[in-house]
Amino acid sequence: MKSRRAWLGLMLLVGALPLAAQKPAFTVGWSVYVGWNPYYYMAKSGIMKKWADKYGITIKVQRFDYAPSLEAFVAKNIEACAMTNMEALDMPAAAGIDTTAIIVGDYSNGNDAVLTRNGVTFKNLPGKKLLLVEKTVSQYLFERGMAMNGMESQIKRVHLVNTSDSDIAAAFIADTSHEAVVTWKPLVSQISKTPGVTNIFNSSQIPGEILDLTVVRTDVLNRPDGSGQKFAKALTGAWYETMGLMSAKGPATDKVLAAIAEGSQDSLPSYKEQLSTTHMLFTPLAALQLATSPEMKQKMTLVKTFCFNHGLLGESTKSMDEVAIRYPDGSVEGKSDRVRLRFEKAYMQAASEGKL
Amino acid sequence: MSVLSISVRPNRMTCWVLSWFLFAAGICLYLYTAQKRHKENPDDRVVPTLAQLGAGIYQAAMNPDADEEPAADSAGQSALERFRNGMLWKDTVASARRFLYGLALLFPAVLLGLHMGIFPYFGVFFLRFILFFDKIIALSVLPILFIAFGIDELSKVMLIVIGVTPTIILDTFNLTKSVPPEQVVKGFTLGARDFDVAYRVVLKQIWPRVLNSIRLNLKPLMLFLFAGEMIASTDGLAYRIALLRRHMGMNIIIPYVLWVALLLFLVDLTMRLLNKRLHPWFREA
Amino acid sequence: MVPGSLADTGAAPVLLDAEPATDLLIRLEKIHVSYELADGACKKVLDGIDLDIRRGEFVSVIGRTGCGKSTLLRLVLGAERPTEGRVLADGREVVRPDRDRGYVPQKYSLFPDKTVIDNITFGPEVEEFSLLTRFTPLFYRRRKEFRAEAMRQLRRMGLHGSDAKKYPDQLSGGMQQRVAIAQALVMKPKILLMDEAFSALDPGTRTGMQKLIRQVWRETNTTVLFVTHNIAEAIQLGTRVVVLAKDGAESSGSKVALDLRVPDRAEEFAEIAERVEAATGHSHLDEEE
Repeated sequence: MKSRRAWLGLMLLVGALPLAAQKPAFTVGWSVYVGWNPYYYMAKSGIMKKWADKYGITIKVQRFDYAPSLEAFVAKNIEACAMTNMEALDMPAAAGIDTTAIIVGDYSNGNDAVLTRNGVTFKNLPGKKLLLVEKTVSQYLFERGMAMNGMESQIKRVHLVNTSDSDIAAAFIADTSHEAVVTWKPLVSQISKTPGVTNIFNSSQIPGEILDLTVVRTDVLNRPDGSGQKFAKALTGAWYETMGLMSAKGPATDKVLAAIAEGSQDSLPSYKEQLSTTHMLFTPLAALQLATSPEMKQKMTLVKTFCFNHGLLGESTKSMDEVAIRYPDGSVEGKSDRVRLRFEKAYMQAASEGKL
Repeated sequence: MSVLSISVRPNRMTCWVLSWFLFAAGICLYLYTAQKRHKENPDDRVVPTLAQLGAGIYQAAMNPDADEEPAADSAGQSALERFRNGMLWKDTVASARRFLYGLALLFPAVLLGLHMGIFPYFGVFFLRFILFFDKIIALSVLPILFIAFGIDELSKVMLIVIGVTPTIILDTFNLTKSVPPEQVVKGFTLGARDFDVAYRVVLKQIWPRVLNSIRLNLKPLMLFLFAGEMIASTDGLAYRIALLRRHMGMNIIIPYVLWVALLLFLVDLTMRLLNKRLHPWFREA
Repeated sequence: MVPGSLADTGAAPVLLDAEPATDLLIRLEKIHVSYELADGACKKVLDGIDLDIRRGEFVSVIGRTGCGKSTLLRLVLGAERPTEGRVLADGREVVRPDRDRGYVPQKYSLFPDKTVIDNITFGPEVEEFSLLTRFTPLFYRRRKEFRAEAMRQLRRMGLHGSDAKKYPDQLSGGMQQRVAIAQALVMKPKILLMDEAFSALDPGTRTGMQKLIRQVWRETNTTVLFVTHNIAEAIQLGTRVVVLAKDGAESSGSKVALDLRVPDRAEEFAEIAERVEAATGHSHLDEEE
């Protein structure tokens, strides 16, 4: 019985191979993060395949470490990738890869935090060492915190210690001579359990500035055969179906969330705790509202200014306008011939209207 | 004559051409790729062109780290001053300091290995533990290192020490053991005391081999140094590479990598020449 | 080991009966040597050796490969201790090698890292100056004297002044052994222990070296214990030939099978050679090489 089933499977596979080869194939890359883990569930539950089949394409969902996922996207090895608005600017956009954000998934609402021990505050941070992964949202958060506490002029007096995210929790917990750290969840939860550590600033104080996006290369979307658009539609469809399951009220929801948590070997309580500091945009309408809001432009400008000031837009980029952003309303921030990052509302809109 | 013959002797010109061929091929392939990628995407940062590399080198060598507090007056500085304030030089100095600390700490290791090889009680006391210690992957016990040594300079040097010294100790131990017993006996019959035999007979004749062993371990040493700098640091060559990787600053990363390779090559060459110079009697086995 | 404690490590002086103490240099008493093999079995090497060496003697020890003649030499040297019995030098028990007994092994007889002259001055220097005191002005003054003495020894061994700055591996095998002898003699040891010292040399060089050592022995009045597996060499050099051989089963250890005085007259050599050959239980010792 078993062997017959295996044979059947093999024959199906062999039969499907030429078919699959003809179908346009796409890969979406994701890395472990509360807001991106749903991709694991989409692949595992078959939701992604269902939507891909609907549009007659193949979609591969591949898990990466964060930095390699960005590198793969810039090197054009994958067509779509989950990343923050900041990396969308300083990795693909600054490297000349025209990129389109099709889904605004969530924003960090406390996931990223500045933690200190011995009651250190922003006021007495200058002159002290600060552990963080430099040139990431951690540093952005730190500078925003300094600015909001009237310490903007003192930013350069804080000694940044670039610390690998794989060791930062252990380093801060073990070495008590360091009094401040900026990092993200679940590391924040881990460090917060240490006695005497306080959370002096976190991303809930700058809502909507650290966005988590799903981006697709613009040249893929513009493929003449239209397969790129199908890919974006399938991706959006699968995404919001999963979001629906995650936000549904009922006993089945916990099962879904547990399955998502499994994607990062996490437990359901831990994942729920992370969700509580993540503002998920469960419905396409909510995402659409955020993406089209006027504050969106202000916040993106803040992020872009940070990137530019730290040379993240490339050493040769002389002006911020050289990496331009196009917003859903068609307005362009920067030089119109150098649009590198586009916020596209069409797919979220289609999802909200049930047209996918 | 066949290329696959053992007894052929290529002439000077052929040797020269052949030995540089892969370098030339590598450079050509790189330039072709760079040019192709830039035709597709003028802002490509993955494979910078020569001009971008040149700009990168200039920026790295002559400009200070942008995140640093700017010096009082950077305008009136001479080229040398600017170079010495540049991030390449500062990173090199920071890494070199750690490198030298690590290297200096190898000398006690050599002495320990020597004593273990000569004095049986030393050998019995240390050998088993060091054989075990040698197998510990230092990078896998980082949290313990952080607790014991913090995450500043000390832990980076200790990472090197833990990673490289067991090898050096065991190597010196084996070299000591391989000294013919006749030499030790001979030393005693000439009126030497135990420490004379250890230092003036045994250590002196294994010394060039010990230096060779250290030379061969420079790369592991560098590897541990880089690992340490990538884990947590505020300066250093690997710190810069880790940082630039975050936004694909390949135009600076590539010069840095080549610079590190050049430095390592020079250290290696210096040690080799010094060894030859100081020990004219030494013939490699 | 505290430097300088060497002299204290020997046992208390032992009064010897029968022989006048002044004449007797080395005494081996009821020596047994056995090793434990890897499989736990016991291998006997020497099985009850009694041997006296008097001052001024040139004793050749001969025997088949593995008969324990090198072990015997190492016992006298102090590099090895007997399982049973004891070795006395000047009435004191030998416990470790020291400056009284010079050593010329077959290989590795010179320090490869030192020049010829430094090899020879090593002994006097190290004996008089420790690792610390060798950086005092006195050391540099004394070193001149050491060097002068070393050059005398070098010339006596038939080497040229120009060889002094060479390293051992720049010399031929014969030259190296000449330097090794000079290196040992400069310490004025009570006995010179030579372990197959010429066995690796080619026949021509070997003959030259034999003449040289015989001459050195006569001139310096040093006692020599010369281990070889070459019968002709043993008889021509020695004033006395000691043959070590097993007296029966393979598992037994060696005993002294023959102990002869060699007369000066060459016509008796053939007869002695025959007796030695018979005692070793082998007729072609040279072929064992």
